[in-house]
Amino acid sequence: MLLEAFTLATILCGFFAIIFKQNLVMKVFAMDVMSTGVIAYYVLIAARGGLFTPISGNATNNGTYADPVPQSVILTAIVIGFSIQALMLVGAMKLAKDSPTLNTREIEKENSP
Amino acid sequence: MNTISIAWIALPFVAGFLIFILPKLDRQIAMLAALGSAGYALQILTSRSSIELLLLDNFGVTLVIDSLSGYFILTNALVTAAVILYCWQTEKVAFFYGQLIILHGSLNAAFACTDFVSLYVALEVSGIAAALLIAYPRTDRSIWVALRYLLVSNVAMLFYLVGAVLVYKAHHSFTFAGLRGAPPEALALIFMGLLTKGGVFVSGLWLPLTHSESETPVSAMLSGIVVKAGVYPLVRCALILDEIDPIIRVFGVGTAILGVSYAIFEKDTKRMLASSTLSQLGFMLAAPEASGFYALTHGLVKSALFMLAGALPSRNFKELQQQPIDRTLWLLFVIAGFSISGFPLLSGFGAKVLTMKNLLPWQEIVMNVVMVGTAIAFAKFIFLPQQPGVNTKPIKQGFWLAIGLLLGTLFVANIVYFEAYDVKNTIKAIAIIATGWLAYLAIFKRTPLKLPRIFEQFDDLIGVMTLVSILLFWATFV
Repeated sequence: MLLEAFTLATILCGFFAIIFKQNLVMKVFAMDVMSTGVIAYYVLIAARGGLFTPISGNATNNGTYADPVPQSVILTAIVIGFSIQALMLVGAMKLAKDSPTLNTREIEKENSP
Repeated sequence: MNTISIAWIALPFVAGFLIFILPKLDRQIAMLAALGSAGYALQILTSRSSIELLLLDNFGVTLVIDSLSGYFILTNALVTAAVILYCWQTEKVAFFYGQLIILHGSLNAAFACTDFVSLYVALEVSGIAAALLIAYPRTDRSIWVALRYLLVSNVAMLFYLVGAVLVYKAHHSFTFAGLRGAPPEALALIFMGLLTKGGVFVSGLWLPLTHSESETPVSAMLSGIVVKAGVYPLVRCALILDEIDPIIRVFGVGTAILGVSYAIFEKDTKRMLASSTLSQLGFMLAAPEASGFYALTHGLVKSALFMLAGALPSRNFKELQQQPIDRTLWLLFVIAGFSISGFPLLSGFGAKVLTMKNLLPWQEIVMNVVMVGTAIAFAKFIFLPQQPGVNTKPIKQGFWLAIGLLLGTLFVANIVYFEAYDVKNTIKAIAIIATGWLAYLAIFKRTPLKLPRIFEQFDDLIGVMTLVSILLFWATFV
C-alpha cells in the first residue's frame, strides 16, 4: 500500500513537473520521471503473487512467482518510452540552435502563427 | 483467411523496411502496400465476415476484424494511396515514404486489435511516425509542432498505461471487455488517454495547430486517418459495453459543438478544416453504430479538402475573397463542401442520414444544429469568387490523380447505403444546407469575431488532461 502510494506520487511529480518546468529539456526529463513511476507501478502489480522469477527450477518456493505478463508489457513500454525520449532530445537539440535558452514559452511564441 | 490477415498486418512494416533498403523504388513499394490494404478491406466488407485471432494462452490479447474495422482500414488505405499519389512528383526522399507506410501499418494494427496492450503499441508507433512526418521539413516551427504533439500524446499514453494495468489487475486480461468490473479510475485513465490521442473534446485542442501547421500531404494524412485511431477503440468499447455507450455519446455531442463553433469563426483555411475535423469526430462518437461509414466519407473528403486548400494562393479567407480563384479548383471545393455538408448524390449524405438514424432523441436536435453549422463553415469555400483560367500555383499531375481517387470514391461509396435516398431525407438535407448558407450570407460573412487561442498553449493542453480525467471519473461513478 505504501509502495503503491510512492509510485503514484512519482507519476504525479513527473506530471506536474511537465506543466510547471519552463525548460524544454526539463519537460522531457519530467516525462521520463513520470514513465519511471508507471514502470514501477507495473512491477509492483506483477509482484503481488510473489517475488521469484517464474522458472521451473525455482519450484521450491511454493509457487510464489512474480506475474510475467505485466513485466513483459512494461518491457515493451520501456523501449517505446526511451525511443520517444531520444527523439525528443534530438528535437530539443535542433531547437537549441535558434533559441539557446530552450524556454518553452518563448519557443511557443516564436512558432505560433 | 487467418494467414492472409497476419500477412496483411505485416505487409506495411515489411514494405517500410524494404523502402529503406531499396530507396529507388520507394513510391512503388509504398503504393503496393496501400493497395494491399485496400484489397483486404474490400474483401472483409464484401464478404461481411468477421475474423477473430487469439494469441495462445492469450491474457486477452485478441485481434478482431469485422465490417466496422473494414471501413476504417479502407479509409486508411485510400487516404495513404492518395497521399502517395500527391507526393509522387515531388522531391520527397525515401525516408518520407518509409515513415508514411509505417504509419499506415501501425494504424492498420490499431484498427484490428481489441485489447489494451496491442492498442498501446500501435498508437505509440503511429505517434512516433506521425511526429517524424510533421518534422519532415526540419524548420524550427515544424520541429516544435512535432515535439508538442509527441509530448502531449506520450503523456496521455502514460496515463492510459496505468489504466491498462488496473484492468489487468481486476481480470488478469487486457481485453476491451474487461472494462466492465474494472475500477472506475481505470476507465477514466484509459479514456482520457484515448480522448487526447483521438483529439476529442477539450483534450483535443492540440489538433487545430498540429494539423494546420503541417505540410499539405501530412495534414491530409493526420486529419484523414491518424486521429481516427484514437476514436476507433472508443467506438469499439461503446459497442462492446452498453454502460459506456452514453458516456461516449455525450463526449461526441460536446466535441461536435466545440469543433463547429471554432470552424465557423476561423479566418484561416487550414485551421478551419482542422477544427471541422474536431466536429466530425464528434459525429462519429455520437452514433457509434454508424461510425465506420462516417469515418470513410469524412476521411476521403477531409484529405481532399486539405490537398485543395494547399493549392490555393493564400491561407487567409479575407485575401481569398479579394482575388478570384481558378474555376476548376472552385468546382472541386464545391463537390467536397457539398459532401461534408451532407448534400445528396455524394456519400456524405448517406453517412449523415445513417448517423441521424442511430442518434438518441436528445442528441438529434443538437446534431441538426451542428449540421447547419457545418454548412455555414463550408459556405466560406463555396462563396469564394472564381474565374476560369486564373493561374495560381503550378499544379502537378499527381494532385489531380489523388483528388480524382478521393472524390471518385465518394461517389461510388453511395452504394453502401442507397436506402437513404427518399423524399424526406433529401428535402431535409437541402433545407439544412440552405439555412446554413443564408445564415452565412446574412450574418457570418461579415462578423469580425475571432475566438481566442489561449487554450491551445502547451501547458493548458497538459493541464486540461486532469480536468478531463476528473470529468470521466465522475461520469463513471454516477
